[in-house]
Amino acid sequence: MKTNRCSILLILIFYTICLTQAKIINKNVERSLDISTQLVKELTKITATNSDGKPISVYTFIVPAADRKNLAFIAARDENKKELKYTEKVVDGNHQFSIAFPKSTATEVFTIEAVYTKKLIPHPSQIPQSGKQLVRYEGNLYLNSLYETKSQKLSVLLSSANILSYTQTKPFNVASNKIKYGPYENIEALSNQSLVIHYENERPFLTTTRLERIIEVSHWGNIAVKENLYMEHTGALLKGSFSRYEFQKDARSGHAIKSYKTILPASASDVYYRDTNGNISTSNMKVMRDFVELELRPRFPLFGGWKTHYTLGYNIPSFEYLFNAGDNYQLKMRLIDHIYNDMVIDEAEIKIILPEGVSNIEITTPYPVKRLPNEVHYTYLDTVGRPVIIMSSKNLVENHIANFNLKYSFSKITLLQEPLLVVAFFFIIFIIAIISIRLDFSISTTHSHKD
Amino acid sequence: MESMQRYVSPVNPAVFPHLATVLLTIGTFFTAWFFVFVVSRPKNSKERTLFKELSISLCASIFLGFGVVFLMLSVGIYI
Repeated sequence: MKTNRCSILLILIFYTICLTQAKIINKNVERSLDISTQLVKELTKITATNSDGKPISVYTFIVPAADRKNLAFIAARDENKKELKYTEKVVDGNHQFSIAFPKSTATEVFTIEAVYTKKLIPHPSQIPQSGKQLVRYEGNLYLNSLYETKSQKLSVLLSSANILSYTQTKPFNVASNKIKYGPYENIEALSNQSLVIHYENERPFLTTTRLERIIEVSHWGNIAVKENLYMEHTGALLKGSFSRYEFQKDARSGHAIKSYKTILPASASDVYYRDTNGNISTSNMKVMRDFVELELRPRFPLFGGWKTHYTLGYNIPSFEYLFNAGDNYQLKMRLIDHIYNDMVIDEAEIKIILPEGVSNIEITTPYPVKRLPNEVHYTYLDTVGRPVIIMSSKNLVENHIANFNLKYSFSKITLLQEPLLVVAFFFIIFIIAIISIRLDFSISTTHSHKD
Repeated sequence: MESMQRYVSPVNPAVFPHLATVLLTIGTFFTAWFFVFVVSRPKNSKERTLFKELSISLCASIFLGFGVVFLMLSVGIYI
């Protein structure tokens, strides 16, 4: 009995030793950090290997809790650019993304693409009209990793060569708007070395604080898209008053946002750009081969802390995005679309208005979104109202431009309901006329045999 | 998805304006006929005209109804 217990204990000890020894290490890590826009785009190429030669089935990538709210997008891809699936969980305040490899081998090479928003802090936070916008990036010089890293390098891309200060941990190398750190050898797991870069960034810091995108499907061959946008310049705030004279004199736009470009689908027509005052005439539309480029100029240049609001809408023929087989329909369209380069959307609400009489609605989205209860929308010639599918999502960037898939059934005969409604309306008017001429409203009684 | 075809409108959107013009013209013609017929009828005649009135008005309302729908479609109110 005693020996039996001892042997179990020994086996357990042996197992724990085995588990601790069979560990994953990062053989080589190459990180590239693009902080030349208002976003922080981090691309990490990891070569991970298992020390005992066993295949790696799961690799855990960590994002500190403080960064999680800034993290807008994360994706892992293998060597052949194929997307790898991951699951997220919170352990000891860190968000762990467990990446699973379908064909696990002892050495895995993969890339992790992460996009962070609002991580570049304007410093100073207030600047005069003619001032330069300086921002500060704070992060970790080393990869946040659960595993030991043999060798790692970091290259940082900045928007300008004007760097005020930066972390100088040797070896490093600065060349115009690029900083190269490393290689750093044998870095312990979970080590943190602060990386601070203070530099000039005159790229537009424009945030879409709220986007309301309404997609209205008509079975008469049209899909109408309408976007209500609330924009804010989220860079350094403007100190002092705005001088139009100074602004006109200086051709260089600096940190003010004069205009930006929106890309619409190639077949977009009847484009309108307006706000509560009416049409905003300062826009240009260029029809290109595969897209429509819209240069939008707000009514006033945007300085730090200034806001604007407008509506943008267009029509697209239904054959671009709507498919059918009998009475089954499928709408395949972008959940959100391009607004401006390196865009940030704080909050988006997407509404899809379907025709009356639609049933069996089923939606699949490219990434999880919050689904709100369906609503009913009333417009011209409606009786019971049109079903509206509402979804909302927060913290979106360009990487989130992807197609959703909406399936529904609709019988073609329902299309006749609207014309018949108008026909009935006219017919009732005629009936009223027929009845009213048969009534006699005259005051004096007329005698037919009056002489 | 593979078996599905691109969905096109049962009526080509390019003909919406023409269709609206033609249907509304015919509809207006029937409406005019109806009112001329009704007004010019002698008040005390015992002639049975109800059926004729109803059929003219039905024709008029069908043409006007479809005409109005296509007018809405051609001006951009995609119902």
